[in-house]
Amino acid sequence: MKNFYNNLNFKKVLCITFFSFLFFQFLTFKSYSDNVKNGEVIVQKMIADAKKHAVKTIKLSPKERSLKIETLIKRFINLDFMARATTGSFWKKATNTQKEKYKSALLKQIVKTIEEHLNTLATLDYKPLKSEARGKKLIYVKGIIRDYSKKIPDVNLLWKLAKDKKGNFLVLDLEIEGISLVSSHKAETMAILRKNKGNFSALLKTFTNNK
Amino acid sequence: MKKIKFAFSISLILLFVLSGCTNNLTISAENKDPFEILNRNIFTFNKTLDQNIVSPISAAYVRKMPLSVRKSVSNHLEWMNTPSTIVNSALQTDFENTILASAKFMLNGLSLGFYDFDNNETKITKKDFGSTLAKLNVPEGPFLMVPLLGPKTFRDFTGTLSDRQSLSNISSNSVNKLSLAEIPINLVDKRSKLAKNIQNIYESPDPYTKMKSYYIQNRRKNVYGDKYIEVKNNKLDMEFEKLLQ
Repeated sequence: MKNFYNNLNFKKVLCITFFSFLFFQFLTFKSYSDNVKNGEVIVQKMIADAKKHAVKTIKLSPKERSLKIETLIKRFINLDFMARATTGSFWKKATNTQKEKYKSALLKQIVKTIEEHLNTLATLDYKPLKSEARGKKLIYVKGIIRDYSKKIPDVNLLWKLAKDKKGNFLVLDLEIEGISLVSSHKAETMAILRKNKGNFSALLKTFTNNK
Repeated sequence: MKKIKFAFSISLILLFVLSGCTNNLTISAENKDPFEILNRNIFTFNKTLDQNIVSPISAAYVRKMPLSVRKSVSNHLEWMNTPSTIVNSALQTDFENTILASAKFMLNGLSLGFYDFDNNETKITKKDFGSTLAKLNVPEGPFLMVPLLGPKTFRDFTGTLSDRQSLSNISSNSVNKLSLAEIPINLVDKRSKLAKNIQNIYESPDPYTKMKSYYIQNRRKNVYGDKYIEVKNNKLDMEFEKLLQ
């Protein structure tokens, strides 16, 4: 043992430390770049599936179409996260039944918004632009929706993704031309909750009456 | 005329007085709505007016007018607004935008702006006096819902008044009359372009808050550009990371 320490000079220690550092940096970088790639793949798959849906479901009744879109959305978005993000500190005060009802109401709102734009989306092209890892968990995927006939101006999109508890990448938020959907929905929800002194039932009632 | 100038001067003074409460980007008008009750009433008035008058006219405009005609009208209205972009780009020392906007204005002027000879290839950033005030670090001030004009911040409302005032000062009487006549056409044209988004806002549980949020996010992005997006996203990232833990 003593011999081992005698043979180990400062140069060797420095070399080992440096290469170990490089190796770990490489591993971390590889894991980040893998995550970024996965994020990109998820967004592209989601858009391709949405386009397919738009064509396939065109002859279905509105109710059946909504159900199909609902299934599609559930596969790609983190509804639980969105519900928590849009209700802020009031989420903890809600009962489990209220939470489930709110999630279902939120899902219906998302389905409604997508239904309105699905036919237009089917005629447009999505072009991925840039993706990056943000912090430890988030992935940003930037893209553009382009109408090659130039009837509609380009629309910039930014998808924010993160892994769920099962390790699948899911969408947390979408920014359309810099407008965050989670932020605007949160502003709306918080305004209703504050007006009703944090009463979650009142929020659910507003959502139900709005249908 | 004197009355308008007086009102304009008063609003400029008021801007500086009222905006004294805030001094940076992080304090958002989204949270600051001292006139909420009044704003909500004006929003209801605007909505009624829109649903009963502007929206049917706009729908008929889309139905009856071919796309090429609507596109020409849109081009012309945009062209009429270019002088404001040229002046404000120069004031903001964005000389590239000034030169590009001037060149495009002169080129399209051959058809009075009805035809876009450039085919939208040159990207020009629209600038108004509101964005110039923002560049001078004048804070946003409180959120306002203006009758007929819709959502504005106090700074941007002052900017809109100033743009109109300066246009009428530098242009001839006939151009002034033309620009006044074009206000309703502009309204119908913009309404037709935003029909889906407006409908989406009206159908939400709290349309007033949704419109305010959309307006403020969009306006800040146009005024501050990537700087605002970065600040907003950094803040959101922190919130999201906490929720993901």
